[in-house]
Amino acid sequence: MSIGNPVHRIDGKLKVTGSANYAADFSVGTPLYAELVTSTVGLGRVTSIDDSAARAVPGVRAVYSHANPLPVDAADFFGAGGRAQQSWRPFESADVRFNGEIVGLVVADTLIGAREAARSMRVQYEEQDPAAVFGASGLEPEDLPDRGLSMGDIEQAMEASSQRVEETYTTYANTHNAMELFSTTAQWAGDELTVYVPSQWVEGFAAGIAEELGIDAARVRVVSPYVGGGFGGKGSLFTWTAMVAAAARDQGRPVKLYVTREQGFTTASYRAETEQDFRLGATADGRFTGFEHQGREISSRADTYVVNGGENTARMYHADAVRTGVTCIHADRQTPGFMRAPPEAPYFFALESGVDELAWKLSMDPVELRRINDIDAEPVNGVPFTSRSLMECYDAAAERFGWSDYEQTVGARTEGDWLVGWGCATATYPTQMGPCAVRIHFDATGQARVWVASHDVGTGAYTVIAQATALALGIPVDSVKVELGDSRLPPGTIAGGSISTASNVSAIEMAVAQIHDRMGTTAETMDPTAAFEAFGQRAIEEYAEWIPPAASRQQAKTLYNGKVAIVGGAEEDYTAFAFGAQFAEVRVHKYTREIRVPRLIGAFAAGRIMNEQTARSQYLGGMIWGIGHALLEKTEVDPRNGKIVNANIAEYLVPTNADVQELEAILVPETDTKVNPAGVKGIGEIGIVGTAAAIANAVYHATGTRVRHTPIHVEDLLPQA
Amino acid sequence: MAKTPGGTNREGPRVSRRGLLQGSVASGAAALGNFAGGAAQAQADAQATGSTTPTVSFSINGKTQTATLDARTTLLDYLREDLDLTGTKVGCNHAQCGACTVLIDGARVNSCLTLMATLEGSEVTTIEGISDEGELHPMQQAFIDNDGFQCGYCTPGQIMSAIGCVREGHAGSAPEIREYMSGNLCRCGAYKGIVAAVEQARDQVEEAG
Ligand code: FES
Ligand code: FES
Repeated sequence: MSIGNPVHRIDGKLKVTGSANYAADFSVGTPLYAELVTSTVGLGRVTSIDDSAARAVPGVRAVYSHANPLPVDAADFFGAGGRAQQSWRPFESADVRFNGEIVGLVVADTLIGAREAARSMRVQYEEQDPAAVFGASGLEPEDLPDRGLSMGDIEQAMEASSQRVEETYTTYANTHNAMELFSTTAQWAGDELTVYVPSQWVEGFAAGIAEELGIDAARVRVVSPYVGGGFGGKGSLFTWTAMVAAAARDQGRPVKLYVTREQGFTTASYRAETEQDFRLGATADGRFTGFEHQGREISSRADTYVVNGGENTARMYHADAVRTGVTCIHADRQTPGFMRAPPEAPYFFALESGVDELAWKLSMDPVELRRINDIDAEPVNGVPFTSRSLMECYDAAAERFGWSDYEQTVGARTEGDWLVGWGCATATYPTQMGPCAVRIHFDATGQARVWVASHDVGTGAYTVIAQATALALGIPVDSVKVELGDSRLPPGTIAGGSISTASNVSAIEMAVAQIHDRMGTTAETMDPTAAFEAFGQRAIEEYAEWIPPAASRQQAKTLYNGKVAIVGGAEEDYTAFAFGAQFAEVRVHKYTREIRVPRLIGAFAAGRIMNEQTARSQYLGGMIWGIGHALLEKTEVDPRNGKIVNANIAEYLVPTNADVQELEAILVPETDTKVNPAGVKGIGEIGIVGTAAAIANAVYHATGTRVRHTPIHVEDLLPQA
Repeated sequence: MAKTPGGTNREGPRVSRRGLLQGSVASGAAALGNFAGGAAQAQADAQATGSTTPTVSFSINGKTQTATLDARTTLLDYLREDLDLTGTKVGCNHAQCGACTVLIDGARVNSCLTLMATLEGSEVTTIEGISDEGELHPMQQAFIDNDGFQCGYCTPGQIMSAIGCVREGHAGSAPEIREYMSGNLCRCGAYKGIVAAVEQARDQVEEAG
């Protein structure tokens, strides 16, 4: 049985030899090189551009700006059902809406020439004071009343509690910082355009580029077979991509753009900062009474984008009354977007810190408090979970961690100069799916080929798709070849929301069933030579369109339109989530307050696991992201001018190898026959979700200091003057 | 301060991110400072020889070649854009991430911080140059065996760095490997597999020298 086996990645050899082609690795002959110029003020307008020095650089071909714009239209904003990362386009006016916005694009014969020219541009601004961060004056709050949930009488439920937590938790902005630099290479052949761009959504990018250039989507091909990390940062169409294509058309030559690391902080999306007002009450014996979670989230002036995690935190535990809500805070910033576990990472930091605070007030073991409030149906509408193995995860992880030695006393343990603390938290992620089509070719030599415009952003999609096909057909995994990441392939899903595996495997099983049906074969008895002889053909090809059962008619129609449709999570007739439990040990130095995480153990149950090895790597990677979220990652915006002051990968701290010590993911078996035909739940995002709260809870256990924001830094643990 | 990569003294200590940092904590300021230093040194060198387009002879993956280039050309850009050796990756261009790590005369170096003008007589080895007629290098195989990557983007740099790390004698234990491999960031968080891979391949790499 090949499914579930820890099969090594089938693209492993390409990756370790450097022969996997990422977007900027494709050869297009001798391209021209483009370089972006970005604004150095946080709000205002460009008053003049002196490009004489830039144009004097040898080999410079063109300088584009609002004064010499490229013919590119704005496309619809992703958050409003479109494809673009923001609703406006650079160069549409002289306005500067945030610090680091694109104000120029230089094209030159060489990479060095383009860089030199971009740095030689003299841009003058009329500068205004931006309102860029929480607390600034001039922010515009937008209430979104229809995004909240309400059940029961919250005030009455809070009254009925004997202990309660009422606190505000905040999370700072984060930037994806995939290792691969953003880039775009555009090449025209007549009026056919090929674009090499790192993408988690080739279909949507192709459609969006066509929309922006005003050409037929059939003429645009987006190629992105290997993606150097996505994490949500390559899920909506970048503003510069169509600009590069337009420049290539203008110049009659292929054009290649590398976006610098610094520019990647401001010209792509990010996880916005949040402020969350949280209330949770409980009876003396630990039963939750009232639950309220209100979020405020930063967005740009023009676009309404919120992640609204209260929709999911409200579904975690028993409650007699629930109220959630969200407010979008419009600021002079770029438009945020999704980043690994977009709603859950910030909002579960609050929920799981709050539950821990309540456990201390009740003098209860925090694991037991969660057990008391474990549920079979979500509390808002009473809709049952398709499966929920939360407490199985707690039991597995607690045992491995040695939680039975937990003593609920601050500073109970020290080792030398280190204060040792333990904490735990729940992780979850909704199980989601989207419409997906695949084509499978199978021939008499026993070889199969699978085509789908899906993506492998490091998730192991190539391998899992080969495994699923092999298993369904009844052939070895190494007899399957897989092609992904090309908008010319049958439309797959966006690689976001942890939807890929469930959608791909469901579509593959459908296509293979069609093959068996026509050939009269089964996986168990598959003998390709004999089967094709009896069938009288040398090969067979089948195409399947899989539409998730819960999809609306309109969602089903997105398949060939380059639109996103995601169903799942809290639906009308079922509630589908994966669950996990995470335990952290931290050490805080008595004198320096340095914080280390010597141990992190998570147990996760996510339905059928397609490949134990790639699944484990996803969980571990997510947990490492959690270390970053808890202790390191902070996109620091200067309130005076909206400038990101640490826009590089040395000062925006991500976990390094030495930050990770004992790290373990336990795969808790779970069978879910209701969630989708494949029985698969997504695993790409859940690993980050509980980590930050588990670490914060452990920091409290060690020090008695409750830090209600991420990241937690040394200075948060110093004695307050 | 060690001699900058712009220096021409082949005997002098070569600056790599790890050499600079000798530890786990990345110092952007130090790295950037050195980057600037390297560029300044190259400019000084160019002025000394009176050329902004020096001619340099070096070998890449065993192939000797001579090139006349813009003095500002980095090894990374030369490999990727001029030679189409795109196995070496670009993650920052500021010696902050390690994605561009190659071996120069056997030692691991960030190619984004290395000016071509400094490579006279040097032997450069990239990820494309370590497997033997289709047979994977033990370190490459170890990365596959231990799932030492996810997206694979940092992987060529990790592998080159791992070979250098073993040769330096800094792969004695898991904590030592973690410390001395911390100049190579992996945003996917494949660190556990990376450490296991270095441990697996260590003896073979040591034997091969
Ligand atoms: S690209 Fe050279 S260290 Fe990042
Ligand atoms: S494998 Fe993706 S960055 Fe390391």
